[in-house]
Amino acid sequence: MNPTASQSSIVSITNVTKDYTLGKVVVPALRGVDLEVHAGEFISIAGPSGSGKTTLLNLIGCVDTATGGVVRVAGQDTKQLTERQLTNLRLNTIGFIFQSFNLVQVLSVFQNVEFPLLLQRKLDKAQRRERVMQLLEQVGLASHAKHRPNELSGGQRQRVAVARALVTRPQLVLADEPTANLDSVTGQNIIDLMKELNQKEGTTFIFSTHDAKVMSHANAVVRLADGNFLDRISAAEASRAMAAGGH
Amino acid sequence: MGQLRLLLQVAFRNLFSSKINLLIGGIIFFGTLLVVVGGALMDSMDSAMSRSIIGSVAGHIQVYSDDSKDPLALYGSMSGEPDLAALDDFSQLRPFLEKHPNVKTVVPLGTSGAIVTSGNTVDLTLSNLRALYKKRDEAGETPELRESIDSVKGHVRQMVNLMADQTAKSEQELGGAQKDPAEVEALARARTDAFWDAFEEAPYSALELLENRIAPQIPDGDMLELRYAGTDLDAFQRTFDRMEIVDGQPVPTGQRGMLLSKFFYEEFLKMKSALRLDHIKQERDLNQKTIATDPDLQRWVKENQTQTREIIFQLDPVKTRKMVERLQKLLGSQEPALDKLLTQFFTTDDANFDTRYAQFYSELAPLLELYRLRMGDVLTITAFTRTGYMQSVNVKVYGTYQFKGLEKSAMAGALSLMDLMSFRDLYGYLTADKKAELAEIQKQSGVEALSRDEAEEALFGEASDNELVAEATSSDVDDQAAFIGDQGALTRENLLQRVYTQQEIEQGVALSAAVMLKDPELLEQTMVELRQAAKDAGLKLRVVSWQEAAGIIGQFVLLGKLVLYFAVFIIFVVALVIINNAMMMATMQRVREVGTMRAIGAQRSFILGMVLVETLVLGLVFGSAGSLVGSGIMALLNSAGIPAGNEALYFFFSGPRLFPTLSASNLVAAFVIVLGVSAISTLYPAFLATRVSPLQAMQTDE
Ligand SMILES: Nc1ncnc2c1ncn2[C@@H]1O[C@H](COP(=O)(O)OP(=O)(O)OP(=O)(O)O)[C@@H](O)[C@H]1O
Ligand SMILES: [Mg+2]
Repeated sequence: MNPTASQSSIVSITNVTKDYTLGKVVVPALRGVDLEVHAGEFISIAGPSGSGKTTLLNLIGCVDTATGGVVRVAGQDTKQLTERQLTNLRLNTIGFIFQSFNLVQVLSVFQNVEFPLLLQRKLDKAQRRERVMQLLEQVGLASHAKHRPNELSGGQRQRVAVARALVTRPQLVLADEPTANLDSVTGQNIIDLMKELNQKEGTTFIFSTHDAKVMSHANAVVRLADGNFLDRISAAEASRAMAAGGH
Repeated sequence: MGQLRLLLQVAFRNLFSSKINLLIGGIIFFGTLLVVVGGALMDSMDSAMSRSIIGSVAGHIQVYSDDSKDPLALYGSMSGEPDLAALDDFSQLRPFLEKHPNVKTVVPLGTSGAIVTSGNTVDLTLSNLRALYKKRDEAGETPELRESIDSVKGHVRQMVNLMADQTAKSEQELGGAQKDPAEVEALARARTDAFWDAFEEAPYSALELLENRIAPQIPDGDMLELRYAGTDLDAFQRTFDRMEIVDGQPVPTGQRGMLLSKFFYEEFLKMKSALRLDHIKQERDLNQKTIATDPDLQRWVKENQTQTREIIFQLDPVKTRKMVERLQKLLGSQEPALDKLLTQFFTTDDANFDTRYAQFYSELAPLLELYRLRMGDVLTITAFTRTGYMQSVNVKVYGTYQFKGLEKSAMAGALSLMDLMSFRDLYGYLTADKKAELAEIQKQSGVEALSRDEAEEALFGEASDNELVAEATSSDVDDQAAFIGDQGALTRENLLQRVYTQQEIEQGVALSAAVMLKDPELLEQTMVELRQAAKDAGLKLRVVSWQEAAGIIGQFVLLGKLVLYFAVFIIFVVALVIINNAMMMATMQRVREVGTMRAIGAQRSFILGMVLVETLVLGLVFGSAGSLVGSGIMALLNSAGIPAGNEALYFFFSGPRLFPTLSASNLVAAFVIVLGVSAISTLYPAFLATRVSPLQAMQTDE
């Protein structure tokens, strides 16, 4: 890796391994993965079930730690950071979109989106309001600000989650199978929304998916197989490969 | 700010979102309710009882001799009267105690118990008759006197007849085995016309037969246990201002005399039939019991129906006739027999009771002596002195007294009051009078110097020949006058009349001093200071609070409080465990939510804050609800009052009803306890919540 490349990388992963231990059995989930993700990319991680997609995203998202190798997020080696610093990194640099939306049920749509801003304590009330409403408008839910999550459809919930992930203007948004719980049309809409935000705000997106259609929006597809980095290909190549693989 | 508001919002919204929270809330609600109501009740009872104890006899502080073997127990202890050493000179103790700026008044006290013999109706009537004959012997016969003698004689004859009838009846029923033939014979003789015809010829020997052979066959002569407090009666009245005279009058300043407790007077000296009517009335009116349903009331009615002898014996022939007439009119009956009429009259049920009760007091009572002792009578009190001799003292009963609000309390009514002089006599200490008497003996018996022991024996001795001490019944007095001589009799007469100076009252023995304080709040501090002062002055004194001085009674409320607090403790330990477990479950249920928050950037401290705020809100909301309902209950109880139910409780309630009040401290205590318990019980679950990994957010279980 040349240093300039690593400087423009928002995520830089070098020879990362991850072992899970189940009792006495050691399950290798990642077996030495290298990956560079540059700012503004819209990257999909693909691979069969159990190939390590979720594991890799968790490492990038600083919610888990690698067994070996180096994970750098926004230039920082996550191994060197304390629990508090990791949390702050997640709060300020990373946005999360979950497969099952993970909204706080007792809070309104507005409050869910506002939540990370409150944790940040950077904006005052009026500023927060403006920012939240701006995002709700972008995801098309401004009129639902006062609703509770359980009053929304799955697609709407995931839009709220997208708004929440982006409200702090993170450099990087991670989404592990964001469309898996949605029908294909709705899933498509979510990916379109993400792509739109990627292009407008320049936010980097890394998401995993099984869905070839979803994959097709990506700048690049990183393929994993059995815990190994297989290749990094274009979306078109990926859909061809998937069509060929019958999957 | 925003965060806190968010946390509060989350907390409030979570409040009713899960059943677990409702469970915890329920526990907190009832816990608070219990602490508020229970605590307020206990406090109210505590202060009511302390008012009872302080206001009746104890004062705030009691001071007594440190040489005492037992601790002071004003209401008696399990093992009888405590063995106390005397305070030799109260007149020196008082100024010492009054030196303390917080001491308001000091009253000398000595409590003790004695046996009072109250002769039975036959005894009293006979002694009455004997007195009339004596009067005739002294002053000569007048027509009025003759009439009185005949009337009393008729009364005695009627009693003898009644006794004979009853003996015959019980003989039929029981087969008549146990009777002493001499007694049977005496009764038979006393019934004959010959006996009564010959009465006037030798009245004293006839009386003797009646007194020695007939009267003892009546079993209702009572030995009453009387507890009394010897005190400076004026100072006592001034200090314990709840005290009020009910019958009679106060003992004149400086004189010997006694004030019976109204309770004692009613319970033990009132005619049983009347007392039972009173009891029934009270239970019906106060406690809403009915004769139809309550076994106690039924028993009293039954006893009144069967035990009419006490009434019948009281009546001479004239009064008997009147009574029969009145009863016939009241009952609309032609029945000539008084006992049958009485039985019919006392056959009461819930419908006629109130009428009969009123009729008894308006129609029948005027013909009766309702009490065995009248105000102004002289009571003979026999007690064991400190040294173990039997000692009797005659004290004039001036009146009865009670403590306002404690009229029905056996505990507050346990003590009758007596002047200090009589008390000292009974307790076996040399009073100035006794010393003078002793000097008299020495002069008469020609003994130059008696040792103190001998002197005491002479003065207080039971079986000594020196019958110096007046004994009970007036009939004996003449016989003893021979032994004692005119002078002795005079002395006794004088004793009852004599007016003692304040100095005489105070210069002498007391067993303890009751101390009233200006500021009761400073009780503990004052006690400490008095102890120190006593130590500095070289006085061997024990200084105890009213609570200690009350002995077992004082421990009652303490015990009640302990029980309550123990119950509260148990409840809260259980609550602690339940809340803890419930919170753990609640946390487990929210693992994904917490994980999500952690993933999107919430620090552990935020999670901790969230759980704690939720518990706090839970505690405050349900705690407030509990306190609110508790306050409501207390307000209700305060306006309605809790009926004491039975007389024993009067003392603890400081009256027939307890009007409990809720103090701010009860509410504060409830809140502190509730919030403390809920905070403690969430600590571990809260800790667990902070350990939830952000990885948990990735669980896909929807
Ligand atoms: N918490 C865990 N404990 C033990 N083994 C785990 C754990 N998480 C993942 N694994 C194992 O690690 C390997 C990679 O799992 P991972 O969840 O990353 O796969 P994935 O590509 O996300 O699969 P999928 O498409 O099914 O989501 C698998 O073999 C899996 O069984
Ligand atoms: Mg996965």
